[in-house]
Amino acid sequence: MNISPPKYALRFLRWFCREDFIDEIEGDLIEVFEHQYKETPRGANWTFIWQVLLHFRPDFIKSLSDHPLIYPGMLKHNLLITYRGFLRNKTSFAINLVGLSTGLACVLMIYLWVNDERSVDRFHEKDSQLYQVMNNFKTSDGIQTWDITPSLMAGAIAEEWPEVEAAVHHNNWPTGLLSNEDQAISVKGKYASANFFDVFSYKLLDGDQSQVLVSNNKIAISASLALKLFDTTKGVAGKTVEWETLGNKEILQITGVYEDPPVNATQQFDFVLNFDRVIKNDPDVKVWSDGYVETILVLKENTDIQAFNRKLGPYLQSKSIWWDDATLFTKKYSDKYLYGRYEDGKEAGGRIASVRLFSIIALFILLIACINFMNLSTAQASRKMKEIGVKKAIGARSKALVVQFLTESMLITIISTVIAIGAMVVLLPQFNVLTGKALRLTFDTNILLSLLAIILMTGLLAGSYPAFYLSRFKPLTVLKGKLNTIAGELWIRKGLVVFQFSLSLIFIVGVLVINQQMEYTQTKNLGYHRDNVLSFVRPNNATDIETFLSQIKNIPGVVNAANMTQSIMSGNDAQKGYSWRGEQVDEDILFKAPQVGFDMIETLGMEIVEGRSFSREHQDDQMKIIINETALELMQLEDPIGHILEKDVGNGRETRQIVGVVKDFHYGSIHEKVEPLVLRLRTEGQSIVAKIKAGTEKESIQQIESTFKAVHPEDAFTFTFLDDDYQKLYLSEQRTATLSKYFGAMAILISCLGLFGLAAFNTERRAKEIGIRKVLGSSVWGIVTMLSSDFIKMTLIAILIALPLSYWLATKWLDNFYYKISLDWSYFALAAALTLVIAWSTIAWQTLKAARLSPMTCLRDE
Amino acid sequence: MKPPSLGEFEELVLLTVAAQHDEAYGVSIKESLEKQLDKTINISAIHVALKRMSEKGFVDARFGGITQDRGGRRKKFYVITAFGKQMLDRQYEIRSSLYHRIPNISFG
Repeated sequence: MNISPPKYALRFLRWFCREDFIDEIEGDLIEVFEHQYKETPRGANWTFIWQVLLHFRPDFIKSLSDHPLIYPGMLKHNLLITYRGFLRNKTSFAINLVGLSTGLACVLMIYLWVNDERSVDRFHEKDSQLYQVMNNFKTSDGIQTWDITPSLMAGAIAEEWPEVEAAVHHNNWPTGLLSNEDQAISVKGKYASANFFDVFSYKLLDGDQSQVLVSNNKIAISASLALKLFDTTKGVAGKTVEWETLGNKEILQITGVYEDPPVNATQQFDFVLNFDRVIKNDPDVKVWSDGYVETILVLKENTDIQAFNRKLGPYLQSKSIWWDDATLFTKKYSDKYLYGRYEDGKEAGGRIASVRLFSIIALFILLIACINFMNLSTAQASRKMKEIGVKKAIGARSKALVVQFLTESMLITIISTVIAIGAMVVLLPQFNVLTGKALRLTFDTNILLSLLAIILMTGLLAGSYPAFYLSRFKPLTVLKGKLNTIAGELWIRKGLVVFQFSLSLIFIVGVLVINQQMEYTQTKNLGYHRDNVLSFVRPNNATDIETFLSQIKNIPGVVNAANMTQSIMSGNDAQKGYSWRGEQVDEDILFKAPQVGFDMIETLGMEIVEGRSFSREHQDDQMKIIINETALELMQLEDPIGHILEKDVGNGRETRQIVGVVKDFHYGSIHEKVEPLVLRLRTEGQSIVAKIKAGTEKESIQQIESTFKAVHPEDAFTFTFLDDDYQKLYLSEQRTATLSKYFGAMAILISCLGLFGLAAFNTERRAKEIGIRKVLGSSVWGIVTMLSSDFIKMTLIAILIALPLSYWLATKWLDNFYYKISLDWSYFALAAALTLVIAWSTIAWQTLKAARLSPMTCLRDE
Repeated sequence: MKPPSLGEFEELVLLTVAAQHDEAYGVSIKESLEKQLDKTINISAIHVALKRMSEKGFVDARFGGITQDRGGRRKKFYVITAFGKQMLDRQYEIRSSLYHRIPNISFG
């Protein structure tokens, strides 16, 4: 009868079933199968499979220790051989251990970091339903993407649209003082709609969730603030605090205490107030063209996001002509952190770029370490030849040998992992300082599983090639002593070294380019001077700014001082509505429009190209403006000084007169290019900058502080240097730069270790050859050249491969910046030279040692 | 040491082995039991019972010759051992003595 039971079931049965039962079970099963097959072939198949599964029970499964490949005796033997191997080849063992544990430590750290980055803002229970409304706004040069919308939107859309389960808005405006009888604490918080705590999962420790922000005079405070004010978080709800901001004082009732937002929350806030307060104080906010807040929607589950976005697009346009240029869309709230960058209205990465970059670096570092292992073990194949030959001759199957070599690589990976974890425990605090995170190594299921996966992957990756390569040897040829080095094998080993060094070179170029670019942003002429400039903010209710400024200026160490409305680093102040030809089209163009007081241009050392700066002598007022060169170019005015512009001020038109043209300077970060800008004269700004004479910082700051304290005895004097503020704008790039340096160094170090090992092995193997050559009259130099030429060739090939690649990668990275270094050939030349020098100096010591050895020592070994 | 026990299903299998003296193997036991009990029986259950009973010493096994049938696999024939027979006898005695102690109950 030519019928057969399901093949896989049968194979499975044969695989697990004990030898002494297989005849009975398989025979019986087949007999039953054949019997049933006559009636229902399909049924017979299913019964067979089912019966096989029913036999898969301890009674009939081969005992684990019977399995020939993991039989304890065999395992013990493998471990012993491995151990002896380690003892015999201490150098390569140490190299593998150092390489793999460094690589694994890098991988683990990056793993923790990446995990943390990916967890940001995902802790909200409604995470999958939370979508933030984003705003694509058309301006003179392309589309700008904002995350703000008018405050009226949340309420309206929640009511009008069935897909929206709830909508919440919030902003980070309020700052001020919260005080009880004992103390006053300076705090930063939020205005939010009443359902804030229903939508976001900031856990309430005290208070009734439905009553938290129920009216204007209620406040919710964070646990740490509650601890500071009342030394407890319990029973705080119901107490009152005094809230002081913008010169107003008010008694508020605490209705809730929430757990401090977790570290992986983008929103960090000390307190929450009801947004209605804003409307009460300034009814103007309650129009569709004002009251900018972040709006977050809770969408019903299974909402079709694309369709929803299409519908949402023109929403604001229908509400107010003010928004004619705005197109709305939603973005998953928790994606905003990693994918927050937009270019011309399209998503353009963001922090995810660093996450990817470091994941790739981690992978490559581990790969380099694995390659070391592969290279060293295959290079030592000649030593294992006899062992393999004998084993095969007495009947070892190549499978058993594969298991042996995999045992070896697994063992070394496990040892390395233990070392790597130890290293991490020591280094993690440093790493946290570098990355500005609070990473901790906790052994939960997730991390254990990942660890297991990493160990298995590394062990297999490192062990597979040697295992399959070595177990393939033919016993006869091996025992005869014919070392039949296959050309292909040599090529693979060389190829792996080339690959390692290509990666190293790319890392070197990367480190050079990243650091050069950082250097460039640090030293770039911004159009103003930021060194020795002190910056601080006066309380919002402060009056008589002119007197205060003149007091500051009278301090001997202060060169000049001025005020403005926002920090020059923010780059946010912008306005439309200027018209220089009396034409409507002009008014659509968005100008950056910082509001500065007198002397700002002088204090920051900006350069006036034409006309003059704002001055008290001319009795300048709000009607006078200064434009920058880019704006001048845009307006194409023949004679800008004295030119009168019209400005739409909402309820009419006013005139503005240009009094000067300032050289382009960077308002905000230099990721963006300089945009057309109008300097507006506003004398009431409370953000003060003071230029201090170099060398007098200490006493000048003290004097400024006492001047400040004399006017504002109750407020704390906190200041920053403009230079530091500037550095902060580039914090994330700075971190990338520092981290890349460390990881690049690791990669290069591990590559060199591998090369060192190979060179050591190579010279040792060729000791006799060297001896004979020397006896025959070869010079030391000749031998050094002979030994190193191979490695140098490999490095050269690596350079050839890596140069174009690294050029491409560097260009891509630099595209993130508008103002960037030009990629000079010297970086690449330097990187190539460095790689060569590193490679050569790694092998130099070995080769020199070998070349200078007396021929006697290497030839006389029997 | 307590004497090894004999489960209900094991007893049925052992009885069949004894009845088909020297000709009993997995499939034949399954078919005979299915006919007797009028229900389908998993062959795996029979294999487990046979394995357990041979460990307890109730049955002995021998292999038949290799044939073209059964995918070339040998049959494993079981015979009851003296100990197995003793066990069956005792079981039978206990049952019948218990049975005989039942008073004459009428369910009229």
